[in-house]
Amino acid sequence: MTPVLTSLALLAIGATMSLVLVRVPRLALVIVMLIVFVASVLVAINAGDVLLRASSRGPYEVAWPLSLGTVRLSIDGLSAWFLMTIGVLAACVAVYSVPHMSAAAGREPVCVFCAFFCLLLASLIILVCAADAVLFLIGWEAMTLAAFFLVAFHHERRDVRRGAWMYLVATHIGTALFVLPLFAIMFARTGTTAFSSFAGAVGSGDRTTLVTLFALGLAGFGTKAGFMPMHVWLPAAHPVAPTPVSALLSGVVVKTGIYGFLRLLSWLPPLPLVCGEVLLLVGIVSGVMGVLYALAQHDLKRLLAYHTVENMGIIALGIAVGMLGEAANQPAVAVLGYAGALLHVTNHALFKGLLFMSAGAVLHGSGTGEIDRLGGLARKTPVNAVMFLIGAVAICGLPPLNGFLSEWIIYGSLLGGSILGIGVSGGLPGVAVAALALMGGLALACFTKAFGVVFLGEPRDASLCTRKTPAGMKIAMAVLGLSCILIGVLPGLWIPLVQLAAGELANVPHGEVNMRIETVLAPAIKLSGMAVVFVVAVSGLIAIRRLVRLRAACSNVEVTPTVATWGCGYTRPTPRMQYTASSFAAHLVTTFRSLLWPERAILAPSGSFPGASHLETHAPDIAEHDVFEPIFRGVDRLYSAVRAVSWRGEQGSPVVSESAALHRRGPIRTLIDGMVGALRRGSIQVRLLFIVLTLVAMFAIEAISPVDRAHSATGQDSQHTLDVGADK
Amino acid sequence: MTVLRAILFVPEVLVVLASPPLLMSVIAKTKAWFGGRVGPPWLQPYFDIHKLIQKNAVYSKTTTWIFRAGPIISLASLLTATTLVPVLSDDSLLGFPGDVILLAYLLALGRMFTVLAAMDTGSSFEGMGASREVTFGAMSEPALFLSFVVMAVASKSLRLSEMIGPSLIPGWQVAGPAVILVVGALLVVLLTETCRVPVDDPATHLELTMIHEVMVLDHSGPEFACITYGAALKFALLGSIVVHAAIPHGGWLAWLNAPLRMLELGGLALLIGIIESVTARFRLNRVPMLLAGATVLSAIALVLVLMRRTV
Repeated sequence: MTPVLTSLALLAIGATMSLVLVRVPRLALVIVMLIVFVASVLVAINAGDVLLRASSRGPYEVAWPLSLGTVRLSIDGLSAWFLMTIGVLAACVAVYSVPHMSAAAGREPVCVFCAFFCLLLASLIILVCAADAVLFLIGWEAMTLAAFFLVAFHHERRDVRRGAWMYLVATHIGTALFVLPLFAIMFARTGTTAFSSFAGAVGSGDRTTLVTLFALGLAGFGTKAGFMPMHVWLPAAHPVAPTPVSALLSGVVVKTGIYGFLRLLSWLPPLPLVCGEVLLLVGIVSGVMGVLYALAQHDLKRLLAYHTVENMGIIALGIAVGMLGEAANQPAVAVLGYAGALLHVTNHALFKGLLFMSAGAVLHGSGTGEIDRLGGLARKTPVNAVMFLIGAVAICGLPPLNGFLSEWIIYGSLLGGSILGIGVSGGLPGVAVAALALMGGLALACFTKAFGVVFLGEPRDASLCTRKTPAGMKIAMAVLGLSCILIGVLPGLWIPLVQLAAGELANVPHGEVNMRIETVLAPAIKLSGMAVVFVVAVSGLIAIRRLVRLRAACSNVEVTPTVATWGCGYTRPTPRMQYTASSFAAHLVTTFRSLLWPERAILAPSGSFPGASHLETHAPDIAEHDVFEPIFRGVDRLYSAVRAVSWRGEQGSPVVSESAALHRRGPIRTLIDGMVGALRRGSIQVRLLFIVLTLVAMFAIEAISPVDRAHSATGQDSQHTLDVGADK
Repeated sequence: MTVLRAILFVPEVLVVLASPPLLMSVIAKTKAWFGGRVGPPWLQPYFDIHKLIQKNAVYSKTTTWIFRAGPIISLASLLTATTLVPVLSDDSLLGFPGDVILLAYLLALGRMFTVLAAMDTGSSFEGMGASREVTFGAMSEPALFLSFVVMAVASKSLRLSEMIGPSLIPGWQVAGPAVILVVGALLVVLLTETCRVPVDDPATHLELTMIHEVMVLDHSGPEFACITYGAALKFALLGSIVVHAAIPHGGWLAWLNAPLRMLELGGLALLIGIIESVTARFRLNRVPMLLAGATVLSAIALVLVLMRRTV
């Protein structure tokens, strides 16, 4: 526990330093990011140690002055897994932030950024290690607020404000309406806020409570994780946040939703089969719709945000199979499902962080994230292109990188579930396999589009000039890229790490988890063998190619110079003749138009000598425009009806004044309007008067009610002492 | 691995790697026969590859290292996939549980790099081919994977050589109609992945009708030899899966099994040649419907196999 406490202390020091060194922002940036790097590496090493030794740490307990809960930190397998992910990604993002933010050091409040960065990281660590409900909620809220301020870094821009507000509102709706009632139910059941007492609080016979808790957890934690249709804040907040923040948001902040959901699952006995099936459907919908929306995007970061939604769907598939395996009493399927989901959590953090950093480097270099204006960046920023390619191959789940490994395990668990007949006698896992395959194919389409249009070909907008990627960014990306490759090529080293967490989730004893993991370890080691075969094949072919070229050079065959791409008879091919991102994805978007509902605005060329024409395509998010916007508009209309007086103290909105013209305004109405108007005008004497009046009213009620209290005094007092006794 | 297997390892690998262009000439000869022609010589594909290796490659200024790496990586992924598919015998060279997923994703890796090499040229032709290829590739994946699910449930194994091996004989007896539907779906996937009529016409070079041909329009010389051979190898691999699923042998002796499998692969090539000669190419809007139809076939097969198991 000491490393965690040390890193928390370091982050506190970092936050204060960033506020102290406000005058020298560049120095503050370097120092604070160094502190953040050290803190995250400490935390990651500690977590790795816990996983390797397969032993939990803690609990570490300190009393605090709040009336409810204590500071209780403990690291079990689940916490350690997420802690390791947070540590590794935060370390790389810290290295990345230095060159990214130092360009903006004079103009933007970089020290505020550093302070909130430290706060975000500290709240993430507390959240993941918390073993107490109140501490968990405090960490949750601190993380939300810190992330809000980080997302709103460029708050002068309107779309940034909108994205930040959407994030805040979405998270708070999820927390207030679903997460808090969840914890309230658990607190009411057990009487304490300690997580250790939550485990086993609800029996497996109590089906209603189990399903309610599952639904609350899915809605509340699912809003944070970005399951459809609660994902609407993701594509709004990710593109407008600074790149290090986007990487952290996508990499770890949405994973805390997954962590909360998994923590809930670890307290509950095996849930009814229908819960796993619902989660499977949620995963399928999130995955397929997420990648379809990603296909239709024009902005690089928004595309990556929708891919986060898709990958959360894949993680949900893994968790759902784990739940189905638990419900059907098949520990092999359960362990594999949870293991695949957890591995995908880390893999996604790694390759999504890499992709966001690469997109940030593109933004930094070219000034725009609009895919259709970029092109040919592979020749100007070759290292960045290689990094994006590694991230793209990893996110499509292609061997030999890490995305394939976690998807392979999830496929294995789904196929196992189908063979054993779990979930609509095996049909639902079969459908999930087809959906996962479709997601993989569509992701391939999307990333060939993104990589091909941004980095390959010719630049589509000649007015953009490209700057080189700074070395710090390259180093951070290279670390993540290397880890993607290593995890993919050497899966045998990584799979045993997940067995502690998977065993805890599947409620399976340690020895049996070992045995189940062994069954997937042997084929995984064969995967390394296949990677070796692949590398041998590639090098063999390259060697043959070199040999052929050498032989041609020796026999003096004339070497033709490189020429422009053949334009099939056009004498002057231009860069504008290339396929744009929209045209590349058009076939797929049209095929799936009944799911996407794309919009087209076209001013077609007309006449024999047509002038300028215009085509605009959009794929507006159905959940945002057709589900949530009408709900919020309805709420807004409700509030407008309640509002009686406008800001300047004038009498009423148009509706009210209409009725005022027709009917007589009686004395009560005039009095109420006058009071509300006086409150809005904000004179301090009126407000003091209102406070006094409210206090008088309260004392009056207190004075009246002891008459009732005295009759039942004995009963109430003993109740009171009983509660006090339980607390101590 | 028995002693016989170890002895036959090297000749088997050599035959498997050398025979795919022969399958291409079977298709060409069939189409020629339908057209009343004699057709090219039987060894023409080998002559073509030999000619291409000796030619010089012309590169475009727009291309980067990805253009040169694309054909190499796609051929390497196909060679890696060859170790997973049982072609001449009932056992693959390097199989393991879950290798069927690796096979499908290796093919996807090849597709990704072919598409990226096409986008690298900055030409609208290659972009068009790339766009069509990723569309049809994405839509054929569910059909392929649903077929895998059906075969996995029927054979209770996750190893490709066990899914389509002798253990499928009881599977045929128990769930015959399901396996027929799966073979039909796999045939459609074969036509899509190897870009045959009715999805794509490999003989034409008109931009309205090409998918695979237009993606590799700019490749020349040894890279194009890689691509031509790779296409033939892909046909041999996917064809082997179809043939093994359709006609399961009973674990016979190697000297009987291997020639029989070669004949069956030749028969499949003949069938593809017949399909190419009697069908016209579908309009591009209709191809997603064909692929959705294949997915539905696999889904019906899945329902049959699951019902059979519970009943």
